[in-house]
Amino acid sequence: MTNPQHTHGPSPQTAQWRLPSGARTLGWGCAAVGVVLLALAAWLGNAAGDGWRGFLRSYLVAWCFWASISLGGLFFTAVQHTTRAGWSVSVRRLAELCGAVMPVLAVLFLPLLVPVLMGGDGLYPWVAPEAVAASDLLQHKSPWLNTTWFGARAVVYLAVWVWLGRLFLVGSVRQDADGDVGRTIAFERFSPLALILLALTTTFASFDWIMSLEPTWYSTIFGVYFFSGAAVAILSAMILFAVGLRAAGVLRDAITVEHDHDLGKLLFAFTVFWGYIAFSQYLLIWYGNIPEETEYYLHRAHGIWGGWSLALIIGHLVLPMVGLLSRHVKRRPLLLAFWAVWLLVMHWADLAWLIWPSAGANAVWAVPVEAACMFGVGSLWLAGWLHWASHCALAPLADPRLPESLRFENSY
Amino acid sequence: MSVVSAAYEHEHLSDDPRHRAPLTTPGLTASQVDDIVARTPELPRAPAAWYAAFTVSAAVAAMFFALIGYLIVTGIGVWGNNHPVYWAFDITNFVFWIGIGHAGTLISAILFLFRQKWRTSINRFAEAMTIFAVICALIFPGIHMGRIWLAYWMAPYPNQMAMWPQFRSPLMWDVFAVSTYFTVSLLFWYLGLIPDLAVLRDRATGWWRKRLYGLFALGWRGSARQWHVYERAYLFLAALGTPLVLSVHSVVSTDFSVAQLPGWHTTIFPPYFVAGAIFSGFGMVVTLMVPARQFFGLKDLITVRHLDNMNKVILGTSCMVGYAYGLEFFTAWYSGNAYEQFVFINRATGPYAWAYWTMVLCNVVLPQLFWFRWARTTPWLMWLVAIGVNIGMWFERFVIIVTSLSRDYLPSSWQMFVPTWVDLGMLVGSFGLFFTCFLLFCRYLPMVAMAEVKQILPGAHGSEKH
Amino acid sequence: MVESNAKSETGRQPVPVGVLGQFDHPDALKRAAAALRDAGFRNWDVHSPYPIHGVERAMGMRPSRLPWLVLLAGLTGIGLALALQIWTNAIDYPINISGKPLFSIPAFVPITFELMVLLAAFAAFGGALVLNLLPQFGHPVFCSRRFVDSGRTGFFISIEAVDPKFDADQLPALLSSLGATHTEVLFDLPGRESYPGWLKIGLLSVCIVAAVPPLLVAAYRAAPKSEPRIHIIQDMDFQEKYKAQTVSPLFADGRSARPDVEGVVALGMAEEDEHLYRGFLDGKPAEAFPMPVTMPMMQTGRELFNVYCSPCHGRVGEGGVTGIISARAVKRQEGTWTMPLSLHADSVVDQPVGQLFETITAGRRTMPSYSAQISAADRWAIVAYIRALQRSRHATIDDVPEEIRSNLK
Repeated sequence: MTNPQHTHGPSPQTAQWRLPSGARTLGWGCAAVGVVLLALAAWLGNAAGDGWRGFLRSYLVAWCFWASISLGGLFFTAVQHTTRAGWSVSVRRLAELCGAVMPVLAVLFLPLLVPVLMGGDGLYPWVAPEAVAASDLLQHKSPWLNTTWFGARAVVYLAVWVWLGRLFLVGSVRQDADGDVGRTIAFERFSPLALILLALTTTFASFDWIMSLEPTWYSTIFGVYFFSGAAVAILSAMILFAVGLRAAGVLRDAITVEHDHDLGKLLFAFTVFWGYIAFSQYLLIWYGNIPEETEYYLHRAHGIWGGWSLALIIGHLVLPMVGLLSRHVKRRPLLLAFWAVWLLVMHWADLAWLIWPSAGANAVWAVPVEAACMFGVGSLWLAGWLHWASHCALAPLADPRLPESLRFENSY
Repeated sequence: MSVVSAAYEHEHLSDDPRHRAPLTTPGLTASQVDDIVARTPELPRAPAAWYAAFTVSAAVAAMFFALIGYLIVTGIGVWGNNHPVYWAFDITNFVFWIGIGHAGTLISAILFLFRQKWRTSINRFAEAMTIFAVICALIFPGIHMGRIWLAYWMAPYPNQMAMWPQFRSPLMWDVFAVSTYFTVSLLFWYLGLIPDLAVLRDRATGWWRKRLYGLFALGWRGSARQWHVYERAYLFLAALGTPLVLSVHSVVSTDFSVAQLPGWHTTIFPPYFVAGAIFSGFGMVVTLMVPARQFFGLKDLITVRHLDNMNKVILGTSCMVGYAYGLEFFTAWYSGNAYEQFVFINRATGPYAWAYWTMVLCNVVLPQLFWFRWARTTPWLMWLVAIGVNIGMWFERFVIIVTSLSRDYLPSSWQMFVPTWVDLGMLVGSFGLFFTCFLLFCRYLPMVAMAEVKQILPGAHGSEKH
Repeated sequence: MVESNAKSETGRQPVPVGVLGQFDHPDALKRAAAALRDAGFRNWDVHSPYPIHGVERAMGMRPSRLPWLVLLAGLTGIGLALALQIWTNAIDYPINISGKPLFSIPAFVPITFELMVLLAAFAAFGGALVLNLLPQFGHPVFCSRRFVDSGRTGFFISIEAVDPKFDADQLPALLSSLGATHTEVLFDLPGRESYPGWLKIGLLSVCIVAAVPPLLVAAYRAAPKSEPRIHIIQDMDFQEKYKAQTVSPLFADGRSARPDVEGVVALGMAEEDEHLYRGFLDGKPAEAFPMPVTMPMMQTGRELFNVYCSPCHGRVGEGGVTGIISARAVKRQEGTWTMPLSLHADSVVDQPVGQLFETITAGRRTMPSYSAQISAADRWAIVAYIRALQRSRHATIDDVPEEIRSNLK
């Protein structure tokens, strides 16, 4: 980075680094809207005639979408600490806050977990005893795919994530007050362990919650695939927060166009990374052409899903890759925000593509259910975000590397 | 001229987040950087130890070429390859050397994009290593074809047979990926060398030295207009090199993973191979760096902090490789596929279990030492671990290739692979070639990118903005 | 302080080729660069041992065109790779590989990517050299001993004599006033900067000499030769063995190919039954089958007929263009093609079975012999099936078994 001797940068107006007082009210409003929307979604889902299944299918997509942002936030924070990153300090709190929403997501996971534990939700085929009895393969997998062990694992994953989310946010907020440099060092030492925990839990969570929708199918890269989507999601979300908050008059001197540029570069990189992982999985299965593997893509190659797959290739890879290539785009907040929104939509499309064809592709499209679920879970997620965000500054005020972050310039 | 760096070691290892630890010995000036780096190329006579090492390496390399000649004249029956183990040491060595070659581009391209400025002290070194490793790698698929004089058949050119190469084959992808990688690495390396060759040219006293360095420096004079274009080109090569380095080992992994052989066909292979390649490449960089910084007096530029950072990368990639090993086992069970399950149980308990456990020990267990700072900063210890990583990564490829092939779907065709003396001689010989190239590089070219190190010295860019 | 540095070697007078000023700090360099930029100089440059951030701005440099070059090359790589792979593997030489479609985009991605990177990298590297006018044989700054000695650590500004505002008397003072710690006028012999004549001649002769071997090879390849080509690699083209019709000194008659020993019959070749193996009985084509005609035999006959006979004679033996080989030959308008006979022609229907058998065994006109592919018993089976086919054209309702007659009505 730049010269280490200069520790005093421009003195920022840290009073602007907090949410305005109305935010808390907004948060409660979001929460109320979220509950209403979810109730509506459940009612609509049941009314559509598919029972809980119609609701849960959409709910799982929505939950995974918002959880992937929070999970991405945990990854982002842990990576920044591990690598002693300086540039990202003034945007790191945004990621920490995304990670801190985990308790809300843990509660919101109950509608997915309880039906499984009660023995039959229609979503996961391996839950139904008659399906297991009819399949040798499911009997073979039953030591892993059974309701008790599934529930226990879910509790472990969520507990780890809630714990890490709290840990990163609380430690960082405490540093705002006491300016203890030791916290930075402690984070740096702990974060590699956090990354290992996150890697393992994310992998197996994606196996459990998404891959086991088609319990006979398997792919070793699936965890990495889910991670790459989560990375795209958190970077898009951070760009939107960074641009949106500045538009609202918050963090104006904390986040500069240089941060936009760097986040844009990372977004570009992870968009390409997603493409790389998705292509790797597809190429190997397509080329190997083994029926037990190709069934997955067979479900996604015909009818509406064929077009959907094509749209993902173009919309999730080709267009954003071309769009984000130029330095000028990444340094224009509005253009960058456009691509962030675009990629979030594509991330949703990706998750829907993973989940819907497995969970009954032939079902009539329940667009209103899906919309109500997405915005319902999203409102509650945002309510959680606003709740924690209104209790602290939106950038780490006393991080020892804050001056470096405020001062750095992209030379390329 | 040499500033003793031991006194600054605590400073390099400083954890204090309020200051960035100095990247080189504090107080170093630009001309001292030149003096340190140019010392070895400017020695009138190389040290006796260099001659000794060079003689041994060159002799081993000569043996390598003699064995290649023997192989070409006699045929690939001189190897232990059999039915069904059609690939054994040849492809193992190829993948091993290609993997070694990944650290250079990672350091010069990916760390450049991530603004990891500590890379400036080690990128030249690692890039050179990359090029020599890729040369060693390219030899093996070349000679394993048998009739090597027909290698040009792989090139798409109109011919009297009216035939074209089969572009849907991963082996053709390999030809393109590896040759592109070699070419781009060479260009990247040479572009970085131009300013430093100009320095050696300007410092040179002998007639020949001045002309030779001058020839390759292309008349570089370090003007701002030149630097401007140069920096753009460097950035583009880095930006191209980053996805390239990922693609190359991914393509190498498809040599195996698009097949249906149990143990080969699994979707994690492309990223897993890339992680393994970076792991082994850094292992080799540390293996070479620890003695080289000592022997050639580069401790002021390549500090303990550099070694510390590299060992962290080794630890991280070791964990990724371990993740892939574990996941492969889990999925083999989870898939419910009897063949997959057998292959993995066979790896761990079958006739090649010794190779498998060597791999696990060297790749997953041993690098865990790097969780401790004393292990990351003790040269002799990290050297041993890094050599372990080299051994482990060679065995990883051996395990993947040989265990899967020797126990395929058809038990009646099962056969063990036993290397012949030619197999072993070629493995050793490729190291001879590698070290010969490397020793020549150390003797005649700047081992550290002087122009880049000068940029990161404190105050290099002034303090004013215009 | 002004120094003169060039030596007069040949009596030609050194002329001023530029002015050089040295600065001791990057900041001073940037300030001076900004001043020269504002003063409107054109052929001037800043020299530093490493790229200094901010100096491009101080000099007022325009962004490089390199990015466009690289982009163009990358797109060319993509286009080239796709065109190459699709043309060669899907159009010009279509071949089925493990059931993959000819137009296999996923399989074409890796090489497309690699060629994109390769061409873009060439553009980045080559562009850097071309835009920097490298390799460059000389430059006025190298006339300064001081520049050569300390160019790798010092900071310099040079103004070349070709600049319209160049003035060897005034500029050193200007540079000093801008903070230069040392200035000098650079002198050189006129014309020294361009490539020297000996270099041009040397390069040209190297090119000419290098072109000789490939030209010789090309000439040799193009010229007709009666001798076999030069075999550097033998490729098992010449083997130590006797070929047919060659001389061997080993035997008295000098022939390498040995005649059969009289009276010897190869294993399994004692085909003495004229009826079974030749289709002849007492020197005439046999009227009857040598074995009883059964249903399994008839089925074998149909199967083999469809394999061996139908490509030319068609599935029902109509001949003409009903067989695919025949249809193809007609479509390609092959002039030498003889139409296969219809097996329902009277001339064929009237033949005794022995003659049909003989035709299959020995061939007739352009039809080759099938005795090597089809065993004698199977040939008889085919004959039986041909008889059935022929019969089908002249069948009456009485030929159909009683119980299924009603199905036909």
